[in-house]
Amino acid sequence: MIPEEPAGIAERVARLAEFLIANDLESVRIEREHETFEVGRAAAEAAVAMPETKAPPQSVQSRVEQIAADRVGIFHLGRPAPYEGERLEGERELGYVEQLGIRNPVRSRGAGRIVAILQRDGDMVDYGRPLFELDRG
Amino acid sequence: MFSKVLIANRGEIALRINRACQGLGVRTVAIYSQADKDSLHVRQADEAYCVGPGPVPRSYLDIANIVSTALAARCEAVHPGYGFLAENARFAEICADHGLVFIGPKPAVIAAMGDKATAKRVMKEAGVATTPGSGILDSPREARDAAKRIGYPVMLKATAGGGGKGMRVVERAEYLERAYASATAEAEASFKDGRVYMEKLILHPRHIEVQVLGDGSGTIVHLGERDCSLQKPSHQKLIEEAPAPNLSTKQRNALHEMAVRACRHVGYTNAGTLEFLVSGDHVYFMEMNTRIQVEHPVTEMVYGIDLVREQIRIAAGERLGYAQGDLRARGSAIECRINAEDPRSGFAPEAGTISRVVFPGGPGIRVDTHIYDGALVPPYYDSLLAKVVAFGETRDEAIARMERALRETVVEGVHTTLEACLELLATREFREGKYDVGSLPSLLATAARG
Repeated sequence: MIPEEPAGIAERVARLAEFLIANDLESVRIEREHETFEVGRAAAEAAVAMPETKAPPQSVQSRVEQIAADRVGIFHLGRPAPYEGERLEGERELGYVEQLGIRNPVRSRGAGRIVAILQRDGDMVDYGRPLFELDRG
Repeated sequence: MFSKVLIANRGEIALRINRACQGLGVRTVAIYSQADKDSLHVRQADEAYCVGPGPVPRSYLDIANIVSTALAARCEAVHPGYGFLAENARFAEICADHGLVFIGPKPAVIAAMGDKATAKRVMKEAGVATTPGSGILDSPREARDAAKRIGYPVMLKATAGGGGKGMRVVERAEYLERAYASATAEAEASFKDGRVYMEKLILHPRHIEVQVLGDGSGTIVHLGERDCSLQKPSHQKLIEEAPAPNLSTKQRNALHEMAVRACRHVGYTNAGTLEFLVSGDHVYFMEMNTRIQVEHPVTEMVYGIDLVREQIRIAAGERLGYAQGDLRARGSAIECRINAEDPRSGFAPEAGTISRVVFPGGPGIRVDTHIYDGALVPPYYDSLLAKVVAFGETRDEAIARMERALRETVVEGVHTTLEACLELLATREFREGKYDVGSLPSLLATAARG
């Protein structure tokens, strides 16, 4: 059962993270009329492992979500190359992390608007490195 | 010499390797988990990259992420340290396949020696005495049959193991099935390899190990022995010393000679350690660790040789530049492991925050550590916080310096093994060098009774 709703965003993310790890889930996504929350396993483990980490400043209205690298390697933009401001109608491969000759896709995980592309094509990225910011509005 | 090396480890050994690299003018790349983002090894390396979340299988054992980091950061070599992937032949092979030098022996030798059952067979071929035992046991039934043949008490051991993980003493047949299940599960969780084998349990043995170095061009030397008999019930060592006390010259020479002969037989390169059980006049080969050991500083103190530096030089293709006759041991050295553990609760490991730490100094004292005021001790990793090492011209002087050093040491925020080490040093058995692998619990109990 999803835990009862706490007051602040940081607390809400932390509770969702605990719920996700306790139930061995890969991600939890909550969609409501005015907001969407999604917490992935990597972010959840980071939040639980490092409770002192403050949640990024983020208003409920903005619904901006970061997509981070979950493999270490060389980052490449997808083709056609995504661009800042682009509106995504649904799931899309935005790029990939090349690791030991294997392409590890970076997906948009749903619709949204690309707010920022945080790495350049050919950059080395490590685990958890933010790649894209998407507004899910 | 290499221009850049990736250090595939964390904690004090990552710092130790970083220092050796910097001494050789080699740039360093640290890897870390998200739980270790504020660790000293991350700050002191030239570059640092996150390879995963806190749990070990998803970070320090993630071979693809680690090798990918080494390649993307343009490293030429990888130093595995101890634990994690240090004795994983597949990791060494993958490094070689991608043009990275693995700082250790050849993958085939790691596979042969790292697989403890195979290692025993190879040692027998080299004429080294081994304990009666079995091959790999694929089922509880095979374990039962082996135990019947060898005779109780027996010990189950992880074939990929080290550090006491996946080891179980079984005194009677009715305990065997449960011990088999828990040993294989622990071995699988620790090493991604759940295979176990069985050995006759030698009663009241000493754990004595011999340090070796081979440079790949025919020079193989030993750097004496270490006594690592003071072990917790989990078989993890707590206090080690070099040289081993109360060993006859004949026994000492036999151990050294067997170690060098075994290394010649397998064409060993880089640093390694052969572990023996010594019981009365009998010496049995136990296993070989194809990596640097936690307790390597005591050997460094008495031989004046930087073993990690030698590992890197050998991997870079350099020759040792000295022979056995050039090496001289001097004095005595003791290491005490300060772990985040509660000795009053069976040495249960603890996580938390180090609120205050003060380390000792003065003549003959060395401290290898990664902790500092405010450092986090994550729950995912080995509980070792610091190794306090004392050197003396005599064993008595080393003990006196160690006692002074431990009294100067302060670690607050978690329970530690510091007081337990002090209590052990003060016992008559330790003073006289008369202890074996089963002594620690009774020595601590005696100390507690005052």
